[in-house]
Amino acid sequence: MKINQIYVNLPVKDVEKTREFWTKLGFPINEQFSDEKAICVIMKEDHIYTMFLKEEFFKTFTDRPIANGETTQTLLAIGVNSREEVDDMVRTAIQNGGSKYSEPQDHGWMYQSSFSDLNGHQWEVMFADASQFPAE
Amino acid sequence: MKISHIYVNLPVKDIAKTKEFWTQLGFKINEQISDEKAVCVILNENMFVMFLTEEFFQTFSERPVPKGDTTQVLITIGLNSREEVDNVVNTAVANGATQHEEAQDHGWMYQNSFWDINGHGWNVMFTDISQIPLQP
Repeated sequence: MKINQIYVNLPVKDVEKTREFWTKLGFPINEQFSDEKAICVIMKEDHIYTMFLKEEFFKTFTDRPIANGETTQTLLAIGVNSREEVDDMVRTAIQNGGSKYSEPQDHGWMYQSSFSDLNGHQWEVMFADASQFPAE
Repeated sequence: MKISHIYVNLPVKDIAKTKEFWTQLGFKINEQISDEKAVCVILNENMFVMFLTEEFFQTFSERPVPKGDTTQVLITIGLNSREEVDNVVNTAVANGATQHEEAQDHGWMYQNSFWDINGHGWNVMFTDISQIPLQP
């Protein structure tokens, strides 16, 4: 079994501010799937998207209440194309209202840094060089 | 900005059962990055889900793992036909998942959903872009 697309759906308080934040990080928006209740951030065209939904709207898709931000159900690790892109994204995120929740880690074959976004969702940004993966 | 791949990280209680569940749905496992603390399910070449034991997951976040009574994320995955959508959901339900909403048919999009054995919510969809209604 193989999927062709993934949409990670996350609740947010303010769609407009969320749009601004992710645009600052350099991601394009799929306007066809965006409105005042939701915004669709294109992470990899045709394949990987994040939908940020206003809490009231998100709530209509689940019978459980939205997490109040004091717990973590998911950590989203995204791969980018260089160490510089990792550092640039995390720096831009923090300059625009994101926050840091752990230190960057350098494993040689994998470099990782992370930020918590405006809405408290946690992102681990990484660059992996598979050619450097330690042999087992 | 464009990412190369995504790893959605989710906490689970039991790695072996989780591995069995996702294998039943037809997905392959990346054994190289799986062990007794985590299992990596291959959704496709650049989309993965890492299920981590709650204890291990906890080491990556300063916030506690939720008890399963709230929702922070819903994940939507696109498959290649209506039949695949129904097969995945039916297999999930036959293996301990619970049906979430009733299947929905929007013409250009067919969607079905389940809560997995760890309480994470999945929407499974098939979209036929050629059938998407034109916007006014």
